[in-house]
Amino acid sequence: MKLQQNIVYLTGGSIISLLLGIIITIIIPAQDPAALGPSPLARPYTEQELWGREIYKREGCQYCHTQQVRAPEANLGMIHKKGDIGPESAPGDYYYQSPVFWGTNRQGPDLAHVASREGIGDNPAWHQLHFKNPRATTPGSVMPSFDYLSAAELEALTAYMLTLK
Amino acid sequence: MLSTEPGSASRRFFYSAIFWLIVPGMMGLILATLLYLPAIYDPLPLAIKPYLSFGRLRPTHVNLMIFGWLSQAYVGGILFILPRITRAKLFSERLAHVNWWLWNLMMLGVLITLPLGLTQGREYAEMIWPLDLLLIANWVLLAVNIWGTFRRREEPKVYVSLWSFMAATIVFIGVYAVGNKVWDPSGAFTGMNDNIVNYFYVHNLFNSWFTTAGLGLALYLLPKLTDKPLYSHRLGLWGLWSVWTGQHHQLYSPAPDWLEYLTIVFSILAVVPTIAFMVNFFMTMRGRWYRAAEDVALRFLVTGALFWAITCVQGVAQSFRTFSLYVHFTNWVIGHSHLAFVADYSFWAFALIYLMIPVLVRRPMYSRKLMEWHYWLTTAGMSIFMVALWIGGLIQGQNWLTNSIPFIETVRSMAPYFALRLIGGLMAGAGVLCFAYNVWQTTRQPTAVPVLSPVVAPGGGGGGE
Repeated sequence: MKLQQNIVYLTGGSIISLLLGIIITIIIPAQDPAALGPSPLARPYTEQELWGREIYKREGCQYCHTQQVRAPEANLGMIHKKGDIGPESAPGDYYYQSPVFWGTNRQGPDLAHVASREGIGDNPAWHQLHFKNPRATTPGSVMPSFDYLSAAELEALTAYMLTLK
Repeated sequence: MLSTEPGSASRRFFYSAIFWLIVPGMMGLILATLLYLPAIYDPLPLAIKPYLSFGRLRPTHVNLMIFGWLSQAYVGGILFILPRITRAKLFSERLAHVNWWLWNLMMLGVLITLPLGLTQGREYAEMIWPLDLLLIANWVLLAVNIWGTFRRREEPKVYVSLWSFMAATIVFIGVYAVGNKVWDPSGAFTGMNDNIVNYFYVHNLFNSWFTTAGLGLALYLLPKLTDKPLYSHRLGLWGLWSVWTGQHHQLYSPAPDWLEYLTIVFSILAVVPTIAFMVNFFMTMRGRWYRAAEDVALRFLVTGALFWAITCVQGVAQSFRTFSLYVHFTNWVIGHSHLAFVADYSFWAFALIYLMIPVLVRRPMYSRKLMEWHYWLTTAGMSIFMVALWIGGLIQGQNWLTNSIPFIETVRSMAPYFALRLIGGLMAGAGVLCFAYNVWQTTRQPTAVPVLSPVVAPGGGGGGE
């Protein structure tokens, strides 16, 4: 029987290919020692910060903001001033996170180290104002205003932002 | 509700697919408007603001498009093709109707939950747990129908499309179950692994479902619309998977370097199935190009295949670290994903519907002129849309790496490209409305005239029944 007519081989082959894909690209990388423990930047979240993460997820912040700094842009990339994108992200930075918000698109800046940006990202009052009226703090921003969030929600979201050091 | 009339389930899947094309299509236009004119969102009443917020609308748009429109159009096509390439009745038309009800229940669930903010928050995997289970159930029902029809086939030869459908459904069930961690209601792993699993799933959603089943559909349409046997069946098999390439979405990320290198190698190897399909495609088209001028369905198929070639070239280029460094995170990627989903797979779906609807409703297409409008508006609109985002993305990527331009300036510089994208999107949207109106009017025509039911002999070629 010709190969292209043998459904057992063809289907079996595809399933083996899938299983190998799972083993090689999921199971083996999961054993990476770098991801098995927290980095100095990672710490367990408080209840309020966890709630803030939930709000971040619910409002879809991750569709426009990444949380990963790539090696070539680390300490070099520019948000407000040179280098303030922060250091390269390490696997251990995400140790306590589920889900992670690595993101794929930057309509807004990377937030991996937003709380290290002096006078802006490290300032709770700035975050509150920015959530409610992004174009007041950042003219030209395309971010939607989150003035529909309650005061407690805004505080939780801010608390989460401040963990991103 | 659960008709046993042959073709009735296929017809229903096409109708609901078109419905789920228009709803998220309008959402897409809202999203494009919000990026160009973000301030128009500010004065909206607080009561409706959450549901129109960009971050909630974007995943709704994406999920409805891929699972509501494109997947349902695929299923309509698969159910139509199955009896014809096996020379047997569909395993169960009733089951296909149950499948249709559950599928649309799932899409209704997406339409309600995602704007409410009920989400798992992982790209393409946002559906909450009950909807995950419903999705698995839907694909299992589809697989039962495909495998059941295969088992009762009268045709000894297994046409390459049949195998594609059989394998695509079962492999995709595995990909979805692992990628969405369906055994856990939270649906998320912890730390770096969460992202690795997410992108294994995202990439294989394309590979195992949209590409494999899509090539199966295209390899049925091609001999059918050209009245010529497929150039090579063996080459058709090279449309195999590259299930190992998912992590090329994460170059320079915190994921292990060896994993990135491995996926780069496999992404380059993905050139092989691409070339195999294109050789097959061009050799089959030889001497039939003139037909694309007359036949809008064939023209959609051909245009989609050419866009598919560009997708694959871009895909390989993007999986190199040097190129990825510039375009990743920029609007280029949004252009690329619309190239894959709209300009190729959706174009093939349009070809399917233009070929199959007249057979299923036993009436010729209502208006040839509207088909032309659909083709030209969609093709021109999407071209403007994508080229604008590619250029904008390259500028963004370059500016980010100069380290002398504040980020907000790179946001402001996107305005003209966002404007062009909106214009392109409006054109494509107008084309889709021509399409939907045309199909609707076709079904409403009073006289049912017999339309020859197309059959593809497993050796290829066409001809009436």
